[in-house]
Amino acid sequence: MWGTRAARQPGGMNTATPRLSARGLVKRFGSTTALAGVDVDLHNGESLAVMGPSGSGKSTLLHCLAGILPPDAGTVTLDGREVSRLSDRERSLLRRRRYGFVFQFGQLLSELPAIENVALPAMLLGTSRRDATELAGRWLASLGLAGMEGRRPGELSGGQAQRVAVARALITGPAVVFADEPTGALDQATGHDVMRILTETTKAAGASLVVVTHDSQVADWCDRRIEVRDGLVVGATAEVPR
Amino acid sequence: MNAVVALAPRFQRAGGRDARVTTGLAVTAFAVTTGLTLSVVGGLLGFASRAELPVPEGQGDDRSVYVILAWIAVVLLVVPLMTLAGAAARLGVARRDARLATLRLLGATPREVVGLTITETAWQGLVGAVLGILLYAALLPVCALLPFQGTTFSVAELWVGWEGFAIALVGVPVLAALSGAFSLRRVSVSPLGVARRETPKKMTWLRAVVAVVGIGVFMVVSSVAGAFGAAAAAALIAALAVGFATLNAVGPWALGLVGKVQLRRATTPARLLAARRLLDDPKGAWRVVGGLGLAGFVAGALAVLPSITAIDTSQDPQGAVLMDDLVTGGMVTLVVAFLLAAVSAGIAQAASVLDRRREIALQNLAGTPVELHDSVRRRTVLVPLLFVAVGSALTALVMFFPLLGLAAVASPQGPLMLVGFLVGGCALVYAATETSRPLLRSVLADTVVRAD
Repeated sequence: MWGTRAARQPGGMNTATPRLSARGLVKRFGSTTALAGVDVDLHNGESLAVMGPSGSGKSTLLHCLAGILPPDAGTVTLDGREVSRLSDRERSLLRRRRYGFVFQFGQLLSELPAIENVALPAMLLGTSRRDATELAGRWLASLGLAGMEGRRPGELSGGQAQRVAVARALITGPAVVFADEPTGALDQATGHDVMRILTETTKAAGASLVVVTHDSQVADWCDRRIEVRDGLVVGATAEVPR
Repeated sequence: MNAVVALAPRFQRAGGRDARVTTGLAVTAFAVTTGLTLSVVGGLLGFASRAELPVPEGQGDDRSVYVILAWIAVVLLVVPLMTLAGAAARLGVARRDARLATLRLLGATPREVVGLTITETAWQGLVGAVLGILLYAALLPVCALLPFQGTTFSVAELWVGWEGFAIALVGVPVLAALSGAFSLRRVSVSPLGVARRETPKKMTWLRAVVAVVGIGVFMVVSSVAGAFGAAAAAALIAALAVGFATLNAVGPWALGLVGKVQLRRATTPARLLAARRLLDDPKGAWRVVGGLGLAGFVAGALAVLPSITAIDTSQDPQGAVLMDDLVTGGMVTLVVAFLLAAVSAGIAQAASVLDRRREIALQNLAGTPVELHDSVRRRTVLVPLLFVAVGSALTALVMFFPLLGLAAVASPQGPLMLVGFLVGGCALVYAATETSRPLLRSVLADTVVRAD
């Protein structure tokens, strides 16, 4: 399973050059300043929790880091290449090729069975349907979902659906996985299960992970956490103990 | 008034732009349905009133033929009209279901939930009926320009009367409310009705059997119609209605089969998604393209016109007028059928984009190319569209064979006219579905994905 592109990439943490780096990020919506000059580094294989209350700017930070929104000022670099000034189309390509996403809920296409939901991103990158389906089957099996390949999202529990979403995010071997409140729609036990799978699998695949959450227990699963308030990073920890 | 039902206007306002667009689409659909139905009924009344006038001296009386032909046009148009009205009542059903399921979870009773929906759709139906009456009034001078029986209609002849308006103002909201309540069965049964989307139940091959029986009934009735004498026309019209209803029953099943074939052959994400979407909801796909299918059926039935009008009528001026009128009436029926199909398809597509907005937006955030959504949207319409248009026209040719023999293909104009109408109709429906493109772009432009 781990023979994907990502698995062949070097892992490790806190190497000298960060994989993803943001400097002086500013983002405004009208008169509201959502980000007021944020610096963030994310290293290979590292997981980072972005915490903060509602409206603090943590989701905007994720959107800017992931190339969903262009910042008004500041830079975002991925593997040393600036990606914040790319065109909308180039940013879409970047997200498809180098990033994976896990949202709170709803990212699975309701008409596709689990296996095709996982296979779809690989097909979008040119993998044949047969190879993508085979790879998706192996990802699902590795995440404990063997036998559920043919189920629709509506026939899966919340935890199972999030595991499918994790497989979907990782099948293309992304450099970074972005998770926006991935346990927000789950009970505590299932949420911990999903976070364990998300952090372990992402690390094993050699990808870095950014998790936006307001739940400190969820953040505990990550290597490091930062606290965002009023568009600024006001607190940071290194190597959160499990 | 019940507390929950009293909340209806607030829900409407709270829905924001999506709710406004959905309401606008529903009202438009009800208005078009009402306006065109009144126009068609006005035409029927016009022919009926002319049939009651004394016959001018020295002329044969073929006026009852016109009334029969007008009834046939009504039968041919009634299903597309009802399809459009039904589609209007189902608009935004996913968003509405989600909102109502939440209310059920909060303790609203099934009766309150149904009451809320009835209030909402009946109100849309009423506004649509008022606008439809205005549309009918606007179309009246245009319809009066059409020459029939050697002279154009007067506005008075096509006037449905105040009682016609009263029926529309009561009937459209009632039908809208019933249709809306009917579409709510899932939520009424379970508050979790919308939280679960399961593998769709397979449609049985019984639909195909029903279709074959329906077509057979029409063919038998039409081949022995002469033996019924005066009742022949009524029997034929009834059989036509049966054939039409049959097409409506078998359409979704046939589209499901197309979806299965597409799925097996899908090699790209767009083809895979389009096939799955078709398989997932063939009834929904039929609602989009079914109008054109029924119009294609009308076109197939009318392919016989060039052969009929080619009959030498130089010795029979009244017969010549009838032949000309047959062509005019056929064309008008077809144009109305195609317009209805285009409006149905455009509205259903727009509603589908709104119903899927969260899913589409999240896919976009994850880097799914815009072209994929466009391609899937186009494929989910075009493939069923072509299949349905051609299939329906062929069905009509087969069904009318005992009645008309090879008349439809006897002269080259018949098939040419049929192909021309199908191509024009498909282009019209395609253009109508493309109007949802800006809506899709606006959904994709939204980076803030809200919960429904």
